[in-house]
Amino acid sequence: MHLSIRNISKTYPNGVRALDDVSLTIPAGMYGLLGPNGAGKSTLMRMIATLQEPDAGSIRLGELDVLRQKDEVRKTLGYLPQEFGVYPKVSAEELLGHFALLKGIATRRARREVVEALLRQVNLWEVRRQKLGGYSGGMKQRFGVAVALLGSPRLLIVDEPTAGLDPAERVRFLNLLSELGENSVVILSTHIVEDVSELCTRMAIIDRGEILLEAEPLGAIEEMRGRIWRSVIEKGALAELEREHAVISTKLLGGRTVVHVFSDTAPVPGFEPAEPDLEDVYFSTMAGHVGRRRAQPELQVAP
Amino acid sequence: MKFREIFRFELAYQVRRAWAWLIFAALLVFAFLMTRDGTLAEALYDDFFLNSPFAIAKTTVTGSLIWLLVGAAVAGEAAARDVATGMHPLTYTAPVSRAAYLGGRFLAAFVLNALILLAVQAGILLAVYSPGVEAEIIGPFRPAAYLTAYGFLALPNALVATAIQFSLAARLGRPIASYLGSVLLFFMSHVVGLFLLFQGRQELANLLDPIGVHFILSDLSHLWTTVEKSWRLVELEGTVLTNRLLWLGIALGVLAVTYLRFCFAHRAESTGWRRGTRRQDARSPIPASLGVAASTPISVPQVPRTFGFALHARQTLAIAGDSFRTTATSWAGLALLAAIPLLTVLVVLDQMELNGVPLVPTTASVISELTAPLAAELSRWVIVPLLLVFFAGELVWREREAGLGEITDAMPGSEWAPFLGKLLGLGLVLVAFMALLTAAGMLAQAILGYRDFETGLYLKILFGLQLTEYLLFALLALVVHVLVDRKYIGHLVAIIAWVFIAMASLFGVEHNLLIYGAGPGWSYTEMSGFGPSLGPWLWFKLYWAAWALLLAVAARLLWVRGRESGFRVRLRWARRRFTPSTARAAAVAVGLILTLGGFIFYNTNVLNGYRTDSEIAKLHAEYEQRYKRYERIPQPRMTATRLHVEIHPERREARIRGSYTLLNGSAVAIDSIHVTTVPGAEPEALAFDRTAALVLSDEDRGYRIYDLERPLQPGGSLRLDFEVHIESRGFRESGADASVVANGTYFTNGNGFPAIGYQQSRELITPRERREHGLPERPVIPSLYDVGERMEWAERIAFDAVVGTDADQVAVAPGRLRRTWTEGGRRYFHYSTDGPTGTGLGYGFFSAKYAVREARWNDVAIQVFHDPRHTAHLDRMLRSIRASLDYYTEHFGPYPRGYLSVVERPGGGTGMHADAGMITHGEGFVFWSPKEDGRSLDLPFAVVAHEMAHQWTLPLAFVEGAPVMSESLAWYYAMQVVRESHGAPQLRRLLSFMRRPYPNPPIRRGEPLLRGLDPWMSYRKGPFALYALGEYMGEERVNTALRRLVEKHGSGAPPLATTLDLYRELQVVTPDSLRYLLHDLFEVNTFWELETERAAAEQTGAGTWRVTLDVRARKVVADSAGVETEAPMDEWVQIGVFGPGEAGDELGAPLHVQMHRIRSGEQTITVTVPRRPVLAGIDPYHLLDWEEREDDDNIERVTARE
Repeated sequence: MHLSIRNISKTYPNGVRALDDVSLTIPAGMYGLLGPNGAGKSTLMRMIATLQEPDAGSIRLGELDVLRQKDEVRKTLGYLPQEFGVYPKVSAEELLGHFALLKGIATRRARREVVEALLRQVNLWEVRRQKLGGYSGGMKQRFGVAVALLGSPRLLIVDEPTAGLDPAERVRFLNLLSELGENSVVILSTHIVEDVSELCTRMAIIDRGEILLEAEPLGAIEEMRGRIWRSVIEKGALAELEREHAVISTKLLGGRTVVHVFSDTAPVPGFEPAEPDLEDVYFSTMAGHVGRRRAQPELQVAP
Repeated sequence: MKFREIFRFELAYQVRRAWAWLIFAALLVFAFLMTRDGTLAEALYDDFFLNSPFAIAKTTVTGSLIWLLVGAAVAGEAAARDVATGMHPLTYTAPVSRAAYLGGRFLAAFVLNALILLAVQAGILLAVYSPGVEAEIIGPFRPAAYLTAYGFLALPNALVATAIQFSLAARLGRPIASYLGSVLLFFMSHVVGLFLLFQGRQELANLLDPIGVHFILSDLSHLWTTVEKSWRLVELEGTVLTNRLLWLGIALGVLAVTYLRFCFAHRAESTGWRRGTRRQDARSPIPASLGVAASTPISVPQVPRTFGFALHARQTLAIAGDSFRTTATSWAGLALLAAIPLLTVLVVLDQMELNGVPLVPTTASVISELTAPLAAELSRWVIVPLLLVFFAGELVWREREAGLGEITDAMPGSEWAPFLGKLLGLGLVLVAFMALLTAAGMLAQAILGYRDFETGLYLKILFGLQLTEYLLFALLALVVHVLVDRKYIGHLVAIIAWVFIAMASLFGVEHNLLIYGAGPGWSYTEMSGFGPSLGPWLWFKLYWAAWALLLAVAARLLWVRGRESGFRVRLRWARRRFTPSTARAAAVAVGLILTLGGFIFYNTNVLNGYRTDSEIAKLHAEYEQRYKRYERIPQPRMTATRLHVEIHPERREARIRGSYTLLNGSAVAIDSIHVTTVPGAEPEALAFDRTAALVLSDEDRGYRIYDLERPLQPGGSLRLDFEVHIESRGFRESGADASVVANGTYFTNGNGFPAIGYQQSRELITPRERREHGLPERPVIPSLYDVGERMEWAERIAFDAVVGTDADQVAVAPGRLRRTWTEGGRRYFHYSTDGPTGTGLGYGFFSAKYAVREARWNDVAIQVFHDPRHTAHLDRMLRSIRASLDYYTEHFGPYPRGYLSVVERPGGGTGMHADAGMITHGEGFVFWSPKEDGRSLDLPFAVVAHEMAHQWTLPLAFVEGAPVMSESLAWYYAMQVVRESHGAPQLRRLLSFMRRPYPNPPIRRGEPLLRGLDPWMSYRKGPFALYALGEYMGEERVNTALRRLVEKHGSGAPPLATTLDLYRELQVVTPDSLRYLLHDLFEVNTFWELETERAAAEQTGAGTWRVTLDVRARKVVADSAGVETEAPMDEWVQIGVFGPGEAGDELGAPLHVQMHRIRSGEQTITVTVPRRPVLAGIDPYHLLDWEEREDDDNIERVTARE
């Protein structure tokens, strides 16, 4: 069971090219889709979730043609959109039960069991009788997860799920997902690098509608070993440094600037080798030092 | 500064939205069509310019009404867009004052609405000046006409409506709430006003109408003369001014409240009424520990899932339940399911009384208050389709507005489930509504002490017939919202669809096969039940249900699912969703549409001819153009009619064999006979008893000419034989022919009987129609001074008919029942008149399972044919008949016949109709149940006396004043009977009822009474004038004049009677001192304005009381154009002083009622009375000053000083 995306393109009526010849193969397990805001993540996710159609290309889930056999896909789909609302005057238990029915859980007993299990799972069991209108952002998000998990989906799509969560909730949520990933295709889109590094067995980096890198997070980090250098500099020296070196990221640390530079060899004194992490992979890819963008750097003039 | 920016931004934002332009376009088209078509110009005398100020004002008001329904989005968006889009945290925290924020938004909405309403004026201009209009009906261009209509009507309407829409939307935080404001205002102006109007509370109706439906459309239509309608501008004065000021005040008040209650604060999800209670935020417990270890493994049980049909069914039901709950618990839902049923109880209670007389609240009559066709735009139930449009929009947008759209869209299952679920949910709301209406109706019946609930009838009509009507529209509204997929535009389109349904003829569409959901109505009466009305009703509804299925398929195919909603994308989906099962549904729908439509078409257009109104008008015009030249040629006069009628109620068929005896009463030989027939109901086997050749036969227009081989010499007679076959071949576009039905057959000789000569009654009357068809103008009725018209012979025939019907029925025809027998399993009745009779040529035949109450009065045989269940009214009716015969024969001459028949026929009307020797009435009449306490008006008694008086109505010349001769005299007769048998207080109650401005107050213009035509003249002013004369000079004198009139003109020989003859007889009996009064009452339009300002009393030494009255008097004479001139007054007017009286007599015991000489202007009158006075005043019985208001200004309470 895997999801294969072939040569997907999508241009919006206003001319924005949301996806440009995207091809991905997503096996069972957690798959991270990493990219900045507006990269085309949500568009891709909606296409997989049967809610949008590409101009060209195909998507297959195992034997299913996602674009044609939508209803078959929906029977096994769990989808948590980036933004969603709830009926404010309905309780969590009631609305989850409603969705359970819509997902085909017909008998009342089965529905009650599933609803209870899921609400306990997302830690909303205590507040199941309260109106959703009174829920905090995080609780709504968890409610959304419960809806997505209804019917034991084999394809789970979660779009920016951790954006509104506090650290504790985020941890809980990621735990939940990781367990699901054992026998389903779980696609997680995010712009938070840690989400991917903590969870995903495979990942893709997407920007401006293009897949820049498709890799296993650990392998990608390993490839960076010895090519990331770190220095702590004064803020004023940054501009000069950027002229001479491939600076991939800068961070403030206690008022001083920490610079990561991508280089196959040691740059100049003052730099020390840094232990690479996924963030370095991400920034190097975005900057074109690795991945698909490396081949045609001159095309990367901002539109 | 900030205010300006907010205003500018809002205006610019909305001007770029499509809805603003669509509303503009809709109004433009509407105003254009309305001006061009002018279907609302229904008044008889209407003939004014296309662009007269009145027409412009009228279209402006109607345009405002349409705008109210389609244009709510503008104010709603301005008020609540920030909250709806979640932008409000940004705008609310900006350093802007409430005044600037709300003011800017409101002003932008108002300005935009004001601009949109200009579309109406633009539409009118376009309609007037674009090609296709005859130049002669365009008046001069007057900018003031457009500006006043816009400035005094449209602009204040826009302000009021915008204020209320804006406030509601701001209060509820939802843009669409503005639509509810619109529905409220629409209801106020349209329905509440109408209700008040028919209560006689015209002033209140005018005041409470926010839009102008009453104070423009109905008021001016009735009050303005034709000349005024063409020339007079609508001005800010009188009612218009008070109304505008009142509503501006209300608008400002509403805005002030909105301003004061508005705050820049976080909006809780709860609605307004929960705001008081503290909102409880849910909090989930924080897990004990964090990290990977804290998570329990997923143990969601694997449960069985079902897909396919079972899933669909369950999804549908789940969505239906949710839709029902959310709709029923919304504000508008509560209005529908709680407020309206409660109001309905009150309305039914109120309607079960007519003119102050209680009606028996039978289930059929209560149900008629609870139902209305969907297209009845004047009914109070128009609120239901308007709310359905709203509910449909809310349901279609429910998931997406809650932000759950993407989640639900990604659920398995087809698009059928949400669509059908929502339809079902809306259906459940309607079912609940019908159940509550049933409960309301029964509750009202119970309150009135009526126990025969007929639950089955409630179920059949409300759940079978009315619900179907609403469901079809609910489906249309849902489909429109689904297909349009823009909420506001969806509303706009759905409302336009309803306007189209309600006013299809305005758009040039008449056939029920072309108007969604339309069809012939059903009817129900206790006598006939549903009769044949259900069949056609059902066929049409099935046909529309097939369309509804097709619409549902379209909605399924184009249902928006997911993020994209472009037209092309939806077409692509539609192709993919067109699965075999959907294709089958579509095929079934198309198949049904074609077969049902074909079947209906076969019935309406093939079996029965179908012609549009304009086609019929055209044929009538051609009839006049071709054959009017024969109008004055000598033709024989009908002297006898013999008929053999076979009625077959179950087969709904009747066969008539008849023969007319025609007498040449002219001085010349007649060589050709002209016969007018009814197109589509041609008589069969027309033949003369001498050789005649058919030289012209025009079946479309209904005219034949036969040349007689041997001319008919003066004084000679011939016989014309014919056969008429009444049968129901399928059904017509307007429904089944209900003339012959299983029980309650009633048809007249209008059903295809031939008539001799050119029939003037077929001519078109309204100037507009006549002009359209190129006919010269003609007066509605010939002038009073047209001597030629008087020289006709009254139509009098010897009538003889044998009527056969089923064995269990009784048949009735004019004349005395001579014999009845049974033959071949059928019953036969032989009726004939005692020689030539009748003042007209119309006669009818009845057949039903009648019970007959026989009675006698001297030598007159009275037979009352009534439904066996309807008996409560019989004794009262017979009392009135006897009292009438007593009084009329004594005072006006003998009753001209030896028989009298009273016949009930199916139908709800409460009135009666008199023919020679026969009084007929609908079932409604039997449900009058006046209180028998001696203190209430017994109106049915008076009505019967009035119809009895018609037995003395003279053969009249068909000229102006004829209705006065007929109706006014009959009412004067009836008044005398009421006084004679019930006493003076009962007569005063009758007069007081007649003086009530119902439904419209008297008009101070037009022709004088001698030339009176309209109902007010003939049913009100004429009787008042005769009554006043009787009071001034003694009723004996008036009675003498009327008796002489009968004696001189009763024969029917020319010259026929006119009001001039009446006037002459009255002049003879009037003493010279009162000639001025006779003149004032009959020859000119005189209005007396009499008022008592103060009444004081003082006890004199002798124990008597001296009463001092300050009175004011004025007399004006209005000419035909309504111009009033004051006439000096120095004449006799009654002054009355009254002491405490018995209960039920409003005025009390008269202490002093005498004529006093009264001058124009103020004056003081002193009279002495023996006892302590309570009330005193001038003209206490309203002999002259007829306008009786709630606070009678003729009479004052006496302030007494001991």
